[in-house]
Amino acid sequence: MTIKTALIAGTAVLAATIPALAEWAPQRPVEFVVASGAGGGTDNFARTIQAALTRNDILDQNMVVLNKGGGSGAEAFLYARQNAADPHKLIFGTNNVYLLPHVAQLAYSAEDLQPVAALALDEFLIWVKADAPWQTSMELIEAAKAEPGTIVFGGSQSKDTDETLVALIEQTTGADFKYIPFNGGGEVGVQLAGGHVAANVNNPNENIGQWQAGAIRPLCVFSPQRMAESEPVNGDMGWHDIPTCAEQGLDIERYQMPRTVWLPAGTDPEVVAYYEDALSRVAETQEWQDYLAKTSQTAAVLTGDDLTAFIEENEAATVTVFEAEGWVTAAAQ
Amino acid sequence: MTVKRFQAEIGTAITTGALGVAAIVGAAELGTGWSDHGPQAGYFPFWVAIVLIGASLWNLGGAIAAHRKAQRTPPDPLDDPEEPFLPRDHLIRVAGFLGAMTAFVIGMLTVGFYVAATLYIGLTAWRQGGFRLWVGLAIGAGFAVSLYLIFETIFQIPLLKGPLEPLLGIY
Amino acid sequence: MGNFDLLMHGFSVAITPMHLMLMVAGVLMGLVVGVLPGLGAPNGVSLLIPLTFALDPTSAIILLSSMYWGALFGGSTTSILFNIPGEPSSVATTFDGYPMARNGESTRALTLAFVSSGIGALMGIMVITLLAGWASQFALRFGAPEYFAVYFLAFAAFIGMGSAAPMKTLVSLTAGLILASVGMDSVTGSIRLTYGFSDLLGGVSFLVVVIGLFGIGELLATVQEGLRFRGVSSKIDLRDVLKTLAELPKYWATMLRSGMIGIWMGITPGGPTAASFMSYGVARQASRKGAAFGTGRPEGIVAPETADHSAGTCAMLPMLALGVPSSATAAVMMGGLMIWGLTPGPMLFATQPDFVWGLIASMYVSNLLGVILVLATVPMFAALLRIPFTIIGPMIVAICFVGAYTVGSATFDLWVVLVFGIVGFMFTKLDYPLAPMILAMVLGHKAENAFHQSMLLSDGSLGIFFANPLVTGIMIVALALLILPKTLGLALSLRRNRKVVA
Repeated sequence: MTIKTALIAGTAVLAATIPALAEWAPQRPVEFVVASGAGGGTDNFARTIQAALTRNDILDQNMVVLNKGGGSGAEAFLYARQNAADPHKLIFGTNNVYLLPHVAQLAYSAEDLQPVAALALDEFLIWVKADAPWQTSMELIEAAKAEPGTIVFGGSQSKDTDETLVALIEQTTGADFKYIPFNGGGEVGVQLAGGHVAANVNNPNENIGQWQAGAIRPLCVFSPQRMAESEPVNGDMGWHDIPTCAEQGLDIERYQMPRTVWLPAGTDPEVVAYYEDALSRVAETQEWQDYLAKTSQTAAVLTGDDLTAFIEENEAATVTVFEAEGWVTAAAQ
Repeated sequence: MTVKRFQAEIGTAITTGALGVAAIVGAAELGTGWSDHGPQAGYFPFWVAIVLIGASLWNLGGAIAAHRKAQRTPPDPLDDPEEPFLPRDHLIRVAGFLGAMTAFVIGMLTVGFYVAATLYIGLTAWRQGGFRLWVGLAIGAGFAVSLYLIFETIFQIPLLKGPLEPLLGIY
Repeated sequence: MGNFDLLMHGFSVAITPMHLMLMVAGVLMGLVVGVLPGLGAPNGVSLLIPLTFALDPTSAIILLSSMYWGALFGGSTTSILFNIPGEPSSVATTFDGYPMARNGESTRALTLAFVSSGIGALMGIMVITLLAGWASQFALRFGAPEYFAVYFLAFAAFIGMGSAAPMKTLVSLTAGLILASVGMDSVTGSIRLTYGFSDLLGGVSFLVVVIGLFGIGELLATVQEGLRFRGVSSKIDLRDVLKTLAELPKYWATMLRSGMIGIWMGITPGGPTAASFMSYGVARQASRKGAAFGTGRPEGIVAPETADHSAGTCAMLPMLALGVPSSATAAVMMGGLMIWGLTPGPMLFATQPDFVWGLIASMYVSNLLGVILVLATVPMFAALLRIPFTIIGPMIVAICFVGAYTVGSATFDLWVVLVFGIVGFMFTKLDYPLAPMILAMVLGHKAENAFHQSMLLSDGSLGIFFANPLVTGIMIVALALLILPKTLGLALSLRRNRKVVA
């Protein structure tokens, strides 16, 4: 056991020295290619990193943000394929990088991108209107079982994280919901507050405003533990007071969306190491902590093998849902 | 030979109709029916394309009918389908302008925006404006530099670059 | 505290030397991005966001919103002088603004545009000031069927009565609808009409098409006539400005109507571009001399400009109060809000009064500054027109292509501009109207999405469009606008014929 610890410590030291040994650093302005439109969640993620890198002098080259949100972000990933081995382009996305090719016929595959780091996990919650009759997720699900296909879930986009989660709930519990895709989480939040849909599975920062106002309330969060302590949001309820869905008897242990950074495939290992180091340092900055707190995301710095393992697990689990729903495209099969 | 107005009408109608046909082909792959969950992805493009083809055929028929009528009766001087679409000197000017513009686009893709713009503006001023070549090129270069300052310095938007800029240390 | 006291408090926050400086800087930068086609307010604002990290949120939003107003003003300048809409929302301004400028009245056209947009902005801000709470409650009542009804109304108002040949209008409209459906369909998640080309995945950008159709198309038409600008008088006379100001009160009805349309479309999901088209269409229908629209009618400038700007200002309300941006620029600002740590939502007005009322107060000041600054730039733009065409022509071409490139940093878009330049030229020469194609590209996919969502909600029953008084009301107005002008025209001509016979 001591040998093992020493080994691990040894590799850690080795790992820590690699960036110092490898003398690669960006030689020209770095392009931040964002797989969403300006103002979207991924855009805020990239711009926060841009601010943290600049203000803390971690990267002393100019950084230029390019929004390529077309085709649910596929545009950005195709751009990475066209710019293979370019060390001055970072691609910002979520798990859509490796999930999109399963549901749509696209001219890129996940192998065209090199994962660099995941920096945060965005949580998913079940939200209902404040005056809805359901107090827990199981009550909602029982209601859906009693009257199949009548309770409407709103979500952003089609075959994306939201619809996948609703499908996963259906597959886990046997309930039957009606899912309607809108454009973006903000719109879904208002559709719920206005009573046009019965529930949604928005991320915390997409719904916090309406929760503050008491128009909607959360039922549970799809996370292994409760969310971090926070200031009370509505009344004396804060994020930490929301039960996990597993606590309520809904058998989905976790469903989270990673915020990820990628390079085009084919760059040197030193390049990857450089950005891994830079992004790990971003995660320690005050700007980053503020961003996590404000958007109620969970901190999670994953690089190297940890990241690969996470991606494999996340991809496998999600593709199972896709297959059960029959969404997998002919080309991907 | 000069293109007459009715021939331009016919060409345009055929082009818009072709767009409709292309849309039908594309929509057919997606399903053009009405499923349990409302219209399928190809439903709207399909029916819109049908309307587009119908309207294009109408315009095509109208152009041919006007042409036939004009051959039988003296044409209306204000709306004569037989008059040339573009008189010869106009056609030459438009074609020249389009040609230069196309060359500029190809230039942007090969030598980058700044060099292409300098050459395009400089050569146009020289050939058509009667300016001296160096004056034209200087105006073009000044324009390129000011766009560089606006886009890359103030707004930090990178424009297309060619092989020359990296030699100057501009990426 | 009543809204008035809150507003006064807002003025005390907004009017500081530092904030006034930010407003001037914001408006000036906005004018630059507004004038450059393609590079619009959304890009400009998102590029400024990193700069705002060093500011407190109130100063930051004042800077960003001032830039937005500047862009809205700047967009009309090039619409009128060059027939190149600098912003999507100023497309409708070209219809009468450019003809008026070609008739030698560019000063009049610009003054009409700027002052009526200033008045539109004022109307918008007053609604925000007085009715913030009510308006955001109203916006909550819009679900998918109501969205569809609004888009349908925008189409109906604009298409109902056009002077062009109906079949050519139909070609233009349907071609626009087909172009709008290229790319990812967000309701079904399928990729449509890309034929395997990755470049088409993001769809055909409406901004890029506008640059081609209007910018390059107009340049080709200019070149055909000869290598100089067609009759645009570039003399700017202060007396012309004053004379135009004196004639403005005549258009009070158009302004009021357009302002209301703009306010409505700003609060509900239409946005400024739809508002300007709809308002132009309604003005044309309301005018007894409807046919003269498109030849340089002052109402044809006043209507879209008032609506555009009142919608632009009102778009701030759903963004702040609901977290739903009803314009692309508002979407970017909302991203900024989140980065600064503010949560858009109904509680923002209560928890951040300094921010909200500081912003509202600043909107009065910066729009006033905007009108003054943009009028001051007119002589400069007019001077541009005195430069020989052989120099300024290629420069405009270069700016059009650069602008198109900046929309999505895609080289494919350069070819799109070229192709649509030719399309614009051919269509204009053969009397195909361009506006229906633009309107279809702006609203087509949104309307289809809303229709599809409604069908999902109702399990395929069209009855959902008449399910409650709100949606029924909008649908009836839309159907009336679509059908009445035609039937009225028919009835009138029948009656006239009968008189002749009698």
